[in-house]
Amino acid sequence: MSAFGWLTYAWNVQLLGPAALRINRWLSESRDKRGSRWNAETLAPPLKISFKNKELVGRHWLEGRYANLRHKVAWVTSGAPVEIFKALDYYVLYPENHAAICGTARVAVELSCEAENAGYSRDICSYARTDFGTLLSGKTPVGRLPKPDLLVACTNICQTVLFWYRVLARHFHVPLIVIDTPFVYYKEASAHALDYVMRQLEEAISVAERVAGKSLEERRLRTTARLSKMASELWLEIMGRNAHRPAPISVIDQFIQMAPIVEMRGDPETVDFYAAMLEEVDQRIRQGIGAVKNERKRLLWDNLPVWYRLRYLAEFLGEHGIALVASTYTNAWGELAPMIDPDGGMDAMARAYTYPILNRGTRYKLETMREMIERFDLDGVILHSDRSCKPYSIGQMDQRDRLLKDHDTPALLLEADHNDSRSFSEEQIANRLAAFVEMLGVEKWQRSAHWG
Amino acid sequence: MSSMLHLKLPGRSDAIRSFKAQGGKIAGVLPIHYPRALLRSFNLLPVEIWGPPRIDPVFGSAHLQPYICSIVRNALSFVQTNPFQTVDVLLVPHACDSLQGLGSILLDFVPPEQPVLPLYLPRGQGMNKASFLQKELETLYQKLKNITGYSPSQDEMMQKILYEEEADQKLASLHRQRRNLPLSDIEFYCLIRAREFLPAEKFSEIAQQILDQVRDEILSGIPIVISGILPEPMALLNEITQMGGMIAADDLACSGRRLYPPGRSQEPFLRMAESLLGAAPSWSWGSPIQDRLEHLMGLIQASEAKGVVFYNIKFCEPELFDLPSLREGLQAAAIPSTVVEVDINDPLSNQMLTRIEAFLEMIA
Ligand code: SF4
Ligand code: SF4
Repeated sequence: MSAFGWLTYAWNVQLLGPAALRINRWLSESRDKRGSRWNAETLAPPLKISFKNKELVGRHWLEGRYANLRHKVAWVTSGAPVEIFKALDYYVLYPENHAAICGTARVAVELSCEAENAGYSRDICSYARTDFGTLLSGKTPVGRLPKPDLLVACTNICQTVLFWYRVLARHFHVPLIVIDTPFVYYKEASAHALDYVMRQLEEAISVAERVAGKSLEERRLRTTARLSKMASELWLEIMGRNAHRPAPISVIDQFIQMAPIVEMRGDPETVDFYAAMLEEVDQRIRQGIGAVKNERKRLLWDNLPVWYRLRYLAEFLGEHGIALVASTYTNAWGELAPMIDPDGGMDAMARAYTYPILNRGTRYKLETMREMIERFDLDGVILHSDRSCKPYSIGQMDQRDRLLKDHDTPALLLEADHNDSRSFSEEQIANRLAAFVEMLGVEKWQRSAHWG
Repeated sequence: MSSMLHLKLPGRSDAIRSFKAQGGKIAGVLPIHYPRALLRSFNLLPVEIWGPPRIDPVFGSAHLQPYICSIVRNALSFVQTNPFQTVDVLLVPHACDSLQGLGSILLDFVPPEQPVLPLYLPRGQGMNKASFLQKELETLYQKLKNITGYSPSQDEMMQKILYEEEADQKLASLHRQRRNLPLSDIEFYCLIRAREFLPAEKFSEIAQQILDQVRDEILSGIPIVISGILPEPMALLNEITQMGGMIAADDLACSGRRLYPPGRSQEPFLRMAESLLGAAPSWSWGSPIQDRLEHLMGLIQASEAKGVVFYNIKFCEPELFDLPSLREGLQAAAIPSTVVEVDINDPLSNQMLTRIEAFLEMIA
């Protein structure tokens, strides 16, 4: 790296940027004392840790802007075995997370249109379209994305990522590592499937080493895996705290706070962050604070969030005293924690990365939902039928029927899309939610009725 | 019986009846790749289920959201209503998120009368694809053994492999000699697609009869390449002929992407794996888009085609992802292309036909 590059990186990423982000956090924290923008009558104030989250995530993307000056950069899918690349000092970027940021910032449709104008169909995953839109236009709410030196697609969340990353490989002309994780139709993956994944991990390491120009140190890999495990366990504990009544945080809070567990798994700051979050959640429990004031019904959310309408959903449900308490989606980043074995080598890594919920059959997902309904004492389920995420959505119609018929659990299929607001019909969704809420037997919360 | 210019081609039901009459059983097989010889070793005739079109998709719609492709929706309806009443085993190879979901639903929620066997096809890029597929085929063997109570020997398997390899060679020759065959497009694709249900021996016999009629004369018509999943509704082919076009080569998942070369190994499972993995580059094997583009260019060059029609099934993500890059690559080589989209349950739309006609006029 040139001296100028080194100085630019150090000045922006290590000095100026972090200082600015910290000051911004302090200012936000002090402003927050004056209250939240979300409906404070029915919802608890945002978690204090949110400001820290913003700072942490801000630093990650700030580093990204300058990452090409200092690091090799890997673009990876959310289910990729990131520990390998972290341990090799890659700056790791998750296009799915970037797309979610675009969704929350409500620029995903604009970016998607850029991709559609270039010939990409509206029927493909809206994360991919958002990503292609950024590539084609250079527009992003995070300033600038670093160019990848390496692409890593792990099919344990869907096959779509393979198709998406093949496009990226052609665009960037950089090596693409595919880690193909055979779909687990039955209870257990076959021995030869695990062996196949393990061998691919070994091959992935040699490609990643070649691109990085250095060898993977086992000690560093173990440390990174240990940090990954610690963060995932903390995340799992945090979600587990929602067994309390009232639930101290909502699923909407989880969606907002999950960025570090996805994109900064393996970093010590992520462990610290979730340890602090757990403390705050425990404090809420001690003080009897619920994410939804006057919690009357507790629901499960299935599938990805509707990133551009988080507030709408939180407020609509909050007004009826309904708390979203658990979610199969946020759970996915915690449920594998027990399987992460820092000393278990490639064998353990192959197991952990073969078993995410999205790589397992439709019955497994139903069973996960049933188990969560019991553990969190839930009253119903909202299944987000996500138009452009087929792998997560297929099976939901039967899952809903089984929940209703076999488990006597009210369940609603809600048609939308995780990132494309053109697939969100507000009127239709409001009607369906209203009918569901009525079925649950709750009315809109009247302030006077409860505050006398 | 389908009417052909130069031969009588048995229909699907005839093939099933006659195979059953000889004591055989039927394996219903979903798209795209699978080991025919392995099924035949258990005296199971593979009969493929690509949709099928023109069936009532209501059952499928009760289990699948509207944004799932019509092939998967129809397949679910078809399997549940089982009009054959003859399928003894159902094989669901893995290809895309939708077929993966279908396999899972069939195993978990709406099990048909027959046993359902999923098959995972590798799409990684490493060297160990063949050995994984070999193991996957061995596992399939064990399952079939449990279902049928029969365990074919290695020799029996090798014999079936050789039959299939011969049929595959004939299939490849038909494709290579397409423009010198005395067959219209619809006849050609009826013949090619008979490989979806005819026993290999029978297919080879018919294919040879046709190959014996290869002429010097070249079929007339504006030559095009068609790319996509399958040419349904098949009436499309007649329409293209009437518009003055002719399909000189194809990159269809049901056809040109399944020209398997013979395997090399003397070990039957590995040999079947090698053969499957030797198929044309496609997303179903995780091939880079550049390889697909080069394959397409090769087809265009060899067939002297003047343009490409991308014939897409609505909601087919894997095809949709590759499309802009392929078109861009073709455009850079000054090869015109057009895209049309279909739902296999819909009749041919005038709008779509007009588009193809305009394209043919443009490239003529
Ligand atoms: S298809 Fe679904 S699982 Fe796959 S990348 Fe898109 S949103 Fe994620
Ligand atoms: S048409 Fe496309 S999406 Fe549908 S089953 Fe075939 S490959 Fe999958």
